[in-house]
Amino acid sequence: MTAFKFGLVHAPLTPFSESGVDYERYGRLLDFHMRHGAEGLALPMHAGESVSLTAEERQALVEFAISHVGGRVPVIVNVSEAGTAIAASLAAHAKRAGASALIASVPYYWTPPQAMLVEHFAAIGEAGVLPFFVFNSPSEMSEVEIGSPAVVNLLDRLPNFAGLIDSSLDWQYMIEVVTVARAARPDFQFVSGTEYMISAGAIGATGLLSPLASISPRLVRELYNICRRESYKEAYGLQEDAAILFRALRDVGVPGLKAAARSFGRDCGNPRPPLPALDAATAKTLVEQLALVHSMKVEPRGWT
Amino acid sequence: MTLVLKGVMQSPVTPLKRDFSPDYETFEKLVDFHVRTGATAISWPHHKAESHNLTIAERKALAEVAIKTVAKRVPISIHVSALALEDTFDLARHAQASDADAIIAITPYFWKYPPEAIYGHFVRLGTSIDLPLIAYNSPSYLAGVEFTGEMTARLIQRLPNFVAMKEASFNSEKFFEILRAAVPLRPDFAMIAGVEYLLPSVALGGAGSYSSAGAICPNLCVELYRSCADENWERARELQYKLSQLWLIFRDQYPSSLKGGCVIMGRPVGPTRPPLPTASPERIKFIEKRLDELGILQTEPHGW
Repeated sequence: MTAFKFGLVHAPLTPFSESGVDYERYGRLLDFHMRHGAEGLALPMHAGESVSLTAEERQALVEFAISHVGGRVPVIVNVSEAGTAIAASLAAHAKRAGASALIASVPYYWTPPQAMLVEHFAAIGEAGVLPFFVFNSPSEMSEVEIGSPAVVNLLDRLPNFAGLIDSSLDWQYMIEVVTVARAARPDFQFVSGTEYMISAGAIGATGLLSPLASISPRLVRELYNICRRESYKEAYGLQEDAAILFRALRDVGVPGLKAAARSFGRDCGNPRPPLPALDAATAKTLVEQLALVHSMKVEPRGWT
Repeated sequence: MTLVLKGVMQSPVTPLKRDFSPDYETFEKLVDFHVRTGATAISWPHHKAESHNLTIAERKALAEVAIKTVAKRVPISIHVSALALEDTFDLARHAQASDADAIIAITPYFWKYPPEAIYGHFVRLGTSIDLPLIAYNSPSYLAGVEFTGEMTARLIQRLPNFVAMKEASFNSEKFFEILRAAVPLRPDFAMIAGVEYLLPSVALGGAGSYSSAGAICPNLCVELYRSCADENWERARELQYKLSQLWLIFRDQYPSSLKGGCVIMGRPVGPTRPPLPTASPERIKFIEKRLDELGILQTEPHGW
C-alpha cells in the first residue's frame, strides 16, 4: 500500500451540460490530461467543482473516470465533505470502484478543533482502506489548519495515512509538518497543492497536485521535472510564469479556469451555480493576461 | 563601502542587567561574538532586541555602541521603526550621523491606512537620509498591512537607496511576488528571509536571512546557508528541519526563550523587559533538554 507514489497529478475540470456532467467531454478531457503529462488524476477536486456535485453524481463521476482511464494512470478520489459519515461512505465507494488513493480536506463549514479533525480523517481512512492523503488548505477552509500534532496522531491511528497535500504556502507550517511526520514515518509523502514547486521541493515535496494543469500542462510538467532534479535556479523562469498564472487565476477561481480552457479550445461548459460564468469583459482580460505569459505560447490548444 | 547583504545576518538581542537597565559591556561582547562567528552583517534593534521596550535615548546610545563595536568589519544597519513616525525619522538621522551603513524600517505600526500610505511613508523616509534603506514586511504581525510586488517596484523606481527587503511572511507566494517584481528593476536587490527559513527562500532566489538563533547556534546557521548556496539540498533539509525546531521553541514570547537559551550556552544576556516575561528556571530546563536532543550543546560554542 505504501508503494503508491503521488507524483505529478492533475486536477481536471468537470464539464457540465444542461442535463448534468457531460461525460463525452469529460472522457476527452481525461485523455487530454493523460496525453499531457499527468502521472495521476485527482477528481473531483475544487477545480472540478466537487462541492457542487451531489453524492450520487460524485460516485457516478468516479466510476466513469476509473473505467475510462482503464488503469493507464492512478485515479485519486477526493471524498471531502462536511459530514464524517458522508465522506466515509464516499471513501468506501471509491475503494469499491477501484480508486488508487483518497484525498480529504478538513470538513466544510464546521471549523472543527484539532481533535475532531483526527476523528474525521480516521473514520474516512478506515472506511476506504487506500493510501490516504489529507489536504491542508487553510485559506479556503476558514483558516482551519491540520496541525502537526494531529498529523502525528493520525499516523498512529491509520496505517494507510500516506501523506499531506499543502496549499498553505506557509514555510513554518510545511517544515514543521514534514519534520515531525517523517520522524514518525520516514516514507510520509509531502505534496505541493500549488504550483509553487521550487520552495515546496526544497522543503521536501515529492509530488504536485496541479489545478493549473488544465491550462498549462507543459509548463507544469517541465517545472515539476526540474524541481524533482532540484535544479532550482534552472526552474526560476518557469516558476515565475507559474506564479503569474497562479495569481491571475486565483481571483477568478473555477470560472476563470473554465473561461481559460474554453479560450484554448476545450470548452467545458459553464460552472454550476452558485458560481457564475466569467463575464465577457473579465474573460477577455484574463485571456489577454495569459497570452503575455511566455510559457503559454507553447501550451496545447484543443483536445489533442 | 558597497553594501552587500548576503548569507546569515545577525540581529543581536539587547542584554539587560538585573534591574533591566542596558548592559553595555555584555552588548559589546554579544555583537563581537556574532561578528566572530560568521555574521555577514549586523542589524539592531529588531523586535527580538525589544526595540519597543527601549526608549529612543537608549536606542541611540546602544546603536552607537553597536556601530563602534562592529567597527566596519561587516555592514551594520539600524532598525528605526517606532510607534511615532517622528521618532523613526529622528532615529534614521541619528543612524546616519553615527556612521551606520543602512537603516531598516517596517510598515508603520498599529494604524489601519490605505496601501498608498505605505508608499508615501517609505518615500519620505528614504529621501530623508543618504543611507541605503531596507524595508521590512511582516503581514502576520501587522494585521495584513504589507508590501505588494507592484508597490515594491514603484519604490525601487522612486528610491535609488532602496536596496533590500526583510520579508517575514514565511509565504512562498508573497516572498516570490516581491522578489520577481524587484529583480528586473534592481538585479542586486536583496530579499532577506525574516528569520532563517533559508531552505525555501534561497531556493526561490533569496539572498539570506536575519537570524533568530544566531546567539545560540551560529555554526548551524552558517552551515545551513552554505548548504543552500552550494545547492546541497539534502544536507540543507536536514539542517533546516533542525533549525526550524529551534525557532518553534524561541518563537513563543520572543525573545524571552531566546534569552533563556543564551544562559545555557554560557552567554547570559539578562532578563527581558515587561510586558514580556523572563524565561523561568523551568523553561530554561526545558530549552536545555531540547538543545541537548537536537545536538546543539555538543556542536556549538559555549561562552563568549
